[in-house]
Amino acid sequence: MSALLVAADLLREARSRRWTLALAGSVTLVLAALAVGLRLEVVDGALAATRLFGGSLGSDIRSVDVALRPVFAATSWLVFYGGSLFGIAAVSDLAPSMLAPGRVEHLLSLPVRRWQLLLGTFLGVEALVLGGALYGGGGMALLLLAKTGVWNPGPLLAAAMAAVAFAPVYAVMLGAALLVRSAALSAAAGFLLFLAGVVAGERGAIASAFEPGAARAVFLAATAPLPRLTPLAVAASDLAQARPVAAAQVLGAVRGALLFAGAALSLAAARFERKDF
Amino acid sequence: MARPSDRRTALWLLAGVLLLVATALLTILSEGGRPARGGAAVEFPRHLRAAEYQRIERRAVLPPLPPRSGPDEPPPTRRRDPLLAALPPGPSRAVVVLEANALRHSRLGELFLGCLGDADARMIEDLRRLGVDPLKDVDRVAVTPEGLAVSGFFGQARWGELFPGAEPAPYGGESTLYRPQGPAGEQLVAGVWRDQLLLLGTGREVQAALDRVEGRTAAAPPLREDQTYGEVYGVLPGEALRALVPPGGSGDLARRLGQAASRVELHADAMSDVAVTARVSGQDAAALEDLARTLGAALAVARVEARAGGDERLVELLEHARVARGGEGFSLELALPAETLERWFAGCRERAGPRRYPAAP
Repeated sequence: MSALLVAADLLREARSRRWTLALAGSVTLVLAALAVGLRLEVVDGALAATRLFGGSLGSDIRSVDVALRPVFAATSWLVFYGGSLFGIAAVSDLAPSMLAPGRVEHLLSLPVRRWQLLLGTFLGVEALVLGGALYGGGGMALLLLAKTGVWNPGPLLAAAMAAVAFAPVYAVMLGAALLVRSAALSAAAGFLLFLAGVVAGERGAIASAFEPGAARAVFLAATAPLPRLTPLAVAASDLAQARPVAAAQVLGAVRGALLFAGAALSLAAARFERKDF
Repeated sequence: MARPSDRRTALWLLAGVLLLVATALLTILSEGGRPARGGAAVEFPRHLRAAEYQRIERRAVLPPLPPRSGPDEPPPTRRRDPLLAALPPGPSRAVVVLEANALRHSRLGELFLGCLGDADARMIEDLRRLGVDPLKDVDRVAVTPEGLAVSGFFGQARWGELFPGAEPAPYGGESTLYRPQGPAGEQLVAGVWRDQLLLLGTGREVQAALDRVEGRTAAAPPLREDQTYGEVYGVLPGEALRALVPPGGSGDLARRLGQAASRVELHADAMSDVAVTARVSGQDAAALEDLARTLGAALAVARVEARAGGDERLVELLEHARVARGGEGFSLELALPAETLERWFAGCRERAGPRRYPAAP
């Protein structure tokens, strides 16, 4: 409960910060650009033709949701990768500012345990990122609904996937900030883990490029504990396009990301417990 | 005594490590442990092994040929293998020899026999009735563009019934020719030497082969004895590499491949894992080097594409594929571990039903 109070406090503080406004503004800008610039005449034409000629028009006419799949896919990739990278940059100074002299002593004087402070910060940032992603994904879904008359919750699901993928990334960023109170280092750690997560998601394909033996074994061992982010991005894209998703694989990747986030938070908590301020 | 903060730190550290281990285990389990299996070692056929030396010695039953250049030259003491002697002469003549008996008792052979259909079973049974058990009596089969040479134990064979309508005629000292009746020409002629070697081909080729076996003409087989390792071995002319270029592909590329490689020596082990080595050699060392690099790159790309495309069979096939350089030319190595073979053949035996090929009497 204390962790949730810390998270709520962080969200309250975020509302007054410039980068939160930048986050919301950027997403709004992208949505506005899409609303103005997206050329959907072909789809409009197909819709009109369907209305004009009735249901069946032969094999050359595809349903709107199929015709729009590339748009939905592009949206989900944008939300997932664009949102994650922007999120890393946007929240990188949050933990270092929390640990700033004067502020951290105040926080530690509150009746809140250190791990609760850490968890609360993590949950607050996660809520913020989820909110931003849902704003972007939901806005995109509504935009496409307005343009085409097709409701596809895919971009929203992609946003949820992006938030899941962000969990291990921010947990590592938090840990990095506890090691060295630096926004740049925290962001670098986040970017590195994000890249490592993309590599881990394709580790099977990459491993086959290594000679069987020690080099491959080392690569597989090194990438095994990392969160696999690529399957999450692919699942987000598939969900956005209403394509079938390999549920077991996606659930495995989600569980892996959450477990890794838990591991990184635990290690960060161990560091936080011993740190003198 | 540890402070409470130390205890908490230790607990958090332990939790962090355990969660990392759990993440790794989850990753490995969700992949079915597949990527890690790539490390299984497969031994490739690169030289004669002890059992193959003994095999060569057992098969050398022909007396050495008399010296050709003159009576002063010491006679060769090495006895000869009749099947190798029968092969058409020339270092780059195409020939592939299958160790039929060994293959029949290999893992691959067992799996293959388990998949035979009714028609194959009937054919085997028909041959047995005529005194030849293809699963027991056939030792080696050599395939050449000119015909076929089969070595084995054919003492029970009823040749007259196996080649109905053919006229038997003695040839040389210990051979018989079975010529079909009618106009001579490019008809299939069978030649049998000592009930141990069956030759099929045109009349001219079969007679020439029997002459080489019986020592009337010199033999210069495309394969030396020390190149008879593996369960399948042979030589292909460099032109055979043209088959690597897909139909409709660049004719220039096919020509360059043929020019760069003048000879491809093939060896395959198949008793458990199937491991194939293709030794490519040629006159132009630089062109061969380029060819080796090209094939290596093509294999690497194909491996990644197969993995990305989810083509599991191709992934497994390319897992052990590599280009090994060294010596003259290079070797292309491909392997299929026994467990992969069994997975590929899985269900075949059940689909074929009980005992589709007849057991040996």
